[in-house]
Amino acid sequence: MGAADAKEGHRPYNLVAELTYRCPLRCIYCSNPLNHREVPDALDGGAWTRAFREAASLGVVHVGLTGGEPTLHPDLPDIVSGAAEAGHYVHLVTAGTTLDGPRLAALHERGLRSVQLSIQDASEAEADEVAGTRSHTKKLAFARQVTDLGLPLTLNAVLHRGNLARVPEIIALARRLGARHLELANAQYHGWALRNRASLLPSAAQLEEAASAVEHARGEADGPEILFVLPDYFSDRPKPCMGGWGRRILVMTPEGRVLPCHDAGEIAGLEFWRYPERSLEACWESSPGILAFRGEDWMQAPCRTCPERERDFGGCRCQAFRLTGDAAAADPACSLAPGHAIVRDARREATVEAPVPVYRGDARSLNR
Amino acid sequence: MTVATPAEFEARLRAIGDARYHHRHPFNVRMHEGTLRPEEIRTWVANRYYYQTRIPIKDGLILAKAQDPAFRRDWIGRIHDHDGAREGEGGLELWLALADAVGLDRERVASQCDVLPGVRRACDAYVDFVASHDLLESVASSLTELFAGDIMLTRIAAFEAHYPWVAIEGLRYFQSRTRQAPADAAFGLAYVTREARTREDQDRCAGALERKCEILWSLLDAVDSAHARPRLAADAIPRLDDAEPMVVLSERAVKLGGSGREILTLCDGTRSAVEIVAELSERHPGESHLVEDVHGFIDEMAGLSVLILEH
Repeated sequence: MGAADAKEGHRPYNLVAELTYRCPLRCIYCSNPLNHREVPDALDGGAWTRAFREAASLGVVHVGLTGGEPTLHPDLPDIVSGAAEAGHYVHLVTAGTTLDGPRLAALHERGLRSVQLSIQDASEAEADEVAGTRSHTKKLAFARQVTDLGLPLTLNAVLHRGNLARVPEIIALARRLGARHLELANAQYHGWALRNRASLLPSAAQLEEAASAVEHARGEADGPEILFVLPDYFSDRPKPCMGGWGRRILVMTPEGRVLPCHDAGEIAGLEFWRYPERSLEACWESSPGILAFRGEDWMQAPCRTCPERERDFGGCRCQAFRLTGDAAAADPACSLAPGHAIVRDARREATVEAPVPVYRGDARSLNR
Repeated sequence: MTVATPAEFEARLRAIGDARYHHRHPFNVRMHEGTLRPEEIRTWVANRYYYQTRIPIKDGLILAKAQDPAFRRDWIGRIHDHDGAREGEGGLELWLALADAVGLDRERVASQCDVLPGVRRACDAYVDFVASHDLLESVASSLTELFAGDIMLTRIAAFEAHYPWVAIEGLRYFQSRTRQAPADAAFGLAYVTREARTREDQDRCAGALERKCEILWSLLDAVDSAHARPRLAADAIPRLDDAEPMVVLSERAVKLGGSGREILTLCDGTRSAVEIVAELSERHPGESHLVEDVHGFIDEMAGLSVLILEH
């Protein structure tokens, strides 16, 4: 890592390692690709370890092990060791239903430094309904195992119209569990979530109430640090998605494909290269898909001349593709975008009654 | 939501104090348990003096907002309480007597030259809040006085029991406040419960009181961290030789600019912030921003979970 690399404007600080798309949960807002079942877990522990070493020389300092459910990868212990030995901060993102205390302790021994646990709601019935499986109670037990080991715990809850009213209870739960961070992430309408958008999209009033609950909780001492981001359907400007395309974050899929975000593989017509068919450096620096939207040359009006392009990098390419069919279009979340009417109309959906959501994986109804 | 009755509204305000007033702050808890070291008591006295000096200024701003002569007649008493009727009297003078009693040089305390950056920010934030809000919210922000009487009694007992090296004459400020605070609070509470006529007004008052609690809390955070011995969080990975020096954590990497890298190498759990300032002053004689830099850096890094502060 030389000073010149940083100056050039892109350095992958984070490697998001999607070890497998397999997952015991079937969340109605799952952001994995719709064809996740067809994607093989192509990289074993040795391949991941080599990738982590190459990543270190690209400038990566932090590896997030995620999925799907990363603990279902059979080589997870070696993968943790490999990332730690390459000098990375090793962070595990899990649903917490598959790992017992001894296995977690063994990962800690191998260099795991922190854990992010997803929860679906503040209490069991509602949480299990969203997850499509019984999981909430297991998750709480898992959270205690994390903090007992002294590992920093981040709790992540995806927010939507069905649970926004319980933000205060979710915050109270995070406090009880001793979480260092709480991410209150409003559902992003990709993958499965886009199919269920009408069941998920909240009203502006719901969001306002949740935002004020967050503000209230932030003033209390000794609580978790709370990250709360408005869904971009309700902001006037798009999010600086991933800190810019191919700029700060490198995502590797279970089959070794190198992406600028976990969703970019869904954009039709983009060619992303695979590790280890090519070196990680080649995949990151030169694959046609990454180059397509790195920097500003691809921008159309109004982004091309917008003074805010250095802040939001033109927003989310995947969202532009999903909603307009053109990945180079201005993100429709932006009120200046030609396609903004699509987002305005979706907001209006949120005022009518929600349809029954469709669960990821299959069409079975819940066994409750 | 509908407007709360005065009794409900008062209960709401008192609940804010129960949850957020600085009687719960770890520094006050340790003070009242009797476990503070003399240098910690002295740092608190020297720094809290800056807060005392802001009070009459804040009260002057409130006076300037009031239209009602009866209100002003009462409120101006607070300025007299702090400044005294003549030289050598009043709350500020009593605080300097406390400075004498804990072994500080009163001239130095009065010069405010040892005020920590975080304390200055917190106190200035209080004056700014009152300057930029209306009379109702300004009065509501003063309602931490509702809880001040009790904390003064606790404090007097704690000093008598645990800090016998502090001469008893030093405690007169606390004693004076056990009488003044309840009377001031009753006036402020009556005003706020009478004048907050809508739910929105009541919400604004509650918000103002919460903000004030935060300010008092952050004042003590700064005092507390001055003598704590910072060390790197167990999970943090420092990358000081990276082209961009940084510390990596679970949810962020914190880049270190300027003097941060050098300060961080001294945060090894054996030195307090005050000792780090002393060590760096020897290395860099004549560097004028060290106090600001070191305390500011340590407070910020503790807030980001990069550093853990141990006592």
